[in-house]
This record gives sequence, C-alpha cells and structure tokens, in this order.
Amino acid sequence: MSDVATHTDGHAHHAHHHVGYATPQAAIEQSEPERVAYVPALYVGTDVDAPDRLTVVDVDPDSATYCEVLHEVPMPHAGDELHHFGWNACSSSCHVEGLERRYLLVPGQRSSRIHVIDTENRREPELVRTIEPESVSEYDLSAPHTVHCAPGGSILVSMLGNADGDLPGGFLELDAEFEIVGRWDPPGEISMNYDFWYQPRRNVMVSSEWAAPKTYQPGFDFADVEAGRYGRRIHVWDWKQREVRQTLDLGKEGLLPLEVRFLHDPESTHGYVGAALSSNVFHFFERDGEFRAEKVIDVETREHDDWEIPVPGVITDLVVSMDDRYLFFSNWVHGEVRMYDASDRAHPRLTDTLAVGGLYGDPNPTGDRPLNAGPQMLQLSLDGTRLYFTTSLYSTWDDQFFPGEAEAGSVMLKADVNPRKGTMTLDTDFLVDFGTLPAGPARAHEIRWPDADCTSDVWV
Amino acid sequence: MTRVRLRWADGREDVVSCDDESVLAAAEREGVRLPAGCRRGFCGTCTSYLVAGVVGYDTEPRALRTRHRRRGYVLPCIARPETACTLRVGPEVVRELRQNPWR
Repeated sequence: MSDVATHTDGHAHHAHHHVGYATPQAAIEQSEPERVAYVPALYVGTDVDAPDRLTVVDVDPDSATYCEVLHEVPMPHAGDELHHFGWNACSSSCHVEGLERRYLLVPGQRSSRIHVIDTENRREPELVRTIEPESVSEYDLSAPHTVHCAPGGSILVSMLGNADGDLPGGFLELDAEFEIVGRWDPPGEISMNYDFWYQPRRNVMVSSEWAAPKTYQPGFDFADVEAGRYGRRIHVWDWKQREVRQTLDLGKEGLLPLEVRFLHDPESTHGYVGAALSSNVFHFFERDGEFRAEKVIDVETREHDDWEIPVPGVITDLVVSMDDRYLFFSNWVHGEVRMYDASDRAHPRLTDTLAVGGLYGDPNPTGDRPLNAGPQMLQLSLDGTRLYFTTSLYSTWDDQFFPGEAEAGSVMLKADVNPRKGTMTLDTDFLVDFGTLPAGPARAHEIRWPDADCTSDVWV
Repeated sequence: MTRVRLRWADGREDVVSCDDESVLAAAEREGVRLPAGCRRGFCGTCTSYLVAGVVGYDTEPRALRTRHRRRGYVLPCIARPETACTLRVGPEVVRELRQNPWR
C-alpha cells in the first residue's frame, strides 16, 4: 500500500487513506489489487455465545497469510446480526469534498445498534463509536440495513421498521461526526424498505422492499407472502426533495425486490434490482421523465426430489462491474453465480454460470471444504477480474434452508473473471473458512474493500 | 419477587428472581446470559419455551406467530412472570420453530 497515491492528472494525495477516483474508469485504472477484505462474522442464533465481529481477511496472494482471517473486531454486545455495512464517504468524495473514506458504519440488523469502525490501520481496524439502539428508536426506526455516504459528509441508513419492528420503515441520517441528524424522510412516505442507491446528478434515489422486521426476522413463512406482508415494489425518490415521486409495482414477478444497483456512470438512470423470491431481475430506467421497470432476466425454477414445489433460484445479491459492462448475481438456493453482458441494458445476455453449493451446485468445489449453502453476497474487484462471494443470507433464513451454515460456518470463495471472454473460473486455491474461527464456526456476510466497492460507491 | 427457573439443553439450570421486570432483564442483572436481539419483542432471537407458570406482556410479542404462542413459546425480552415459572432457554429453542417452508 503506497503512502501517497499519485493520480494521472498529476496531483498527489496527502495521506494514504485519502483514496479517491475521479470517475469509475479512474477507479479501474488507478486502483491496486485488493489486499484485505472486511467481512462480518456472525454468531447470532448459533450455539456459540459470542458477539458478532468484523473480520479482516487477507486476499493478497503474495502474503504468507493469504486466505486467513488476520484480525477480528468483536462488537460490544452479542445478538447484533451484523449484515450489510458501508463507508462514511464514497471514494469519489475525495475529489469533491476532501472527505476520508476511512470509517465503516456497521449496523446490527436485530439490535439496531450502529457501530463505527476506524480503518486507518487497515489490517487492525478499531471500534471507535457505538450508536445505541435507544438513540435510534427515538426516531421511531429500527433494523438498520444499507449504509450509503451522501453529499456533504452525511450518511444515510435504510431502516426497515419502526421502533416496534413494524411498518413503516424509513431512513436515518447521520452527520460526518456520526451524530444522528434525524429521520431523513417524512414518516409514512414509504411503508417497507430495504436497499437503496442514488444518482445525485440525476436527482434520483431508488429504494426497494423486504418486509417489516417482525415478519422477516423470526424466519420466512410463505403465509406472509400470501398475506402481502412481503414487498414487491420499488420507490423512485426525488433525492433533493426527499419525496417519493413514483412507486413501481413489480407484481407477482417481482416479489422481494432486494438489492438495487444503479450503473456506476454518474449520468446514467439505468439500474437493476433483483426480485429474490420470484427470482427475476428487473431493469429500471427513465424515459420521457418517467421511471419504468421491466423484467429482463427470469431464472427458471427447478425440480428437486426433496421439495414439494419447484425450487426458485432466490436471487439474493447482484453486482455491476465498475465499467458497467457486466451484471453478476447469485442464485442462493440453486447454488449458482451468473454473469451477464449488460452492454445492452434492456437485454442482458448470459455469458457464463458457476454452479457451486446450494441444491444443485458442486457441493465441494475446492475439494477440501463441503459447502452448506449457495453463493450469496458478491463483491467484485475494481478491475472486474476477481469475483468473491460468501454463503450466509440471514441467520433465521439460513436455519430454514441451509442449517449447516450455523453448524459448520460459511466460506468465502473467489472466481477469476475474464472480461474479454465473459467467463468465470472458480479459483480452487482460494478458500476462506469461517468455520475455523477461534470462537467457533461463524456465518459470513457482506464483503467490502478499503479503496472502493463495486456495490456501494456513488459518484456525486 | 418471582422465581424463574431457566433450563438449558444440557440440563443445567439457573434460577433468577424477577422484580417487576422482564425475564431477560432479571437474568442479565443476575449475570445469566440469554440469547437476545432486538429486546423489544419483534426479532425472536430470545424465543424460549414456557414449561410451567404464567407470563404476561406489556406489548404484543410480535415475533411469535399465533400457533407458536399457543404451543407455549415465549419471548423473555418482554415477558414478565406472573407466577413462578420454568422456561427452556438457549439457542436450540428457537430452532425448533424453523422449517423449510417448501419441503
């Protein structure tokens, strides 16, 4: 890691964490290969009585500790369910506002506690601040999920429920010092919430829907789907006015629209959202001042002897490459990663699949560690040549579909991507086994890089 | 003071005294660690089974489905004992309620 990052436009940065890229293409050109990854390891709901922790994983193939967990930052309390997390600033912000992309905001999905972790020392980050659940519930919000930096140094967190774990959810705004500013949205503007992404140059934000915390946290029940307690809509917001300008009902084909990905091109109004339960990908875009959403990928259900109904793929995560050429997504239950050429935004073209774990994939793809579940959270290297994934979805849902995750822990795997050929090859030498952590087998969830993420960075 | 017996899967028992507080609050005050998440009755992480006795709630135990509540499952984070109680506790209890909905 160089102490001074010199940019092609000639100006050098004053400190090594003032990483910044003027454009998505600059991130591709100027970034170095990732050396550490931050991955939460969870004990909530398992037999291990220990707090969840954020781990530092060595992903540098030249390191003696390659594929090992280098460091753990345990949370102060057990029972958080660490899940998604994000940065205090986008890697683009450096050029715009001089912010440091240095602090990770790590929410507890169940506890509603929000942790701030300083990554100044990348290999041994430190917990520096905790926002307690009581401070969050004062704003009648709970169940923090996605964290995005916002212009001006503020930080926005999607909140899935009110203080009682019921609807409506909303958004919590923090300032640059990690103090709660307040609720960002007018209460009741939306009912369900989940993930969001914004394109400030287009004054637009898109948010998606999971369910009320009281519905999804105890576990998945099909009766809740039939009763309409799970989401199927996405909301298009006027970013500056903080108002929903359009709600798009995706219908039965769009049940559980989870991860939202705008293209990285800051001028683009194209994006994708994965409907987890219906196992379809929708393309959303603006035309003549109106947003539309169209189903562009339909993952076929498959038969399985042990299942009474055809098995859906269950699209739980998606990532768009930094150059906006490729769309990757995971079919967690089937056990598959798919790669699509997204150069024609409305007609993604399947270029390759990788079948590992889950119900139909190779159950032991590296030869030395059977998988308990399929690929779930994805993260792509900035240059688009290395795709990493973990296998846990959510503790209570894991226990229903893949109970082995609690008993033996998750893994992190990697596929080498050839963007010229549109292909993926599993790297059978890469295996991070969260089943062997000192405190006991842990679930592993979202993956983040210190320099920039394909799944979080927004160019303002 | 109401006595609450907490029975673990391995046969171990802890006895705590509740003084107009939730079972979880009493247990933690007496140094007994129980699984817990939201602490407000909606996430279900603390789900336990009421073997004997009666508990009451100030707010709805939202994480419990009616069928589970009828079978005797309770949420120690918001449940207050109304009589002496015995609860089966530990992470195994909530997993009894897990099933693959499509199998």
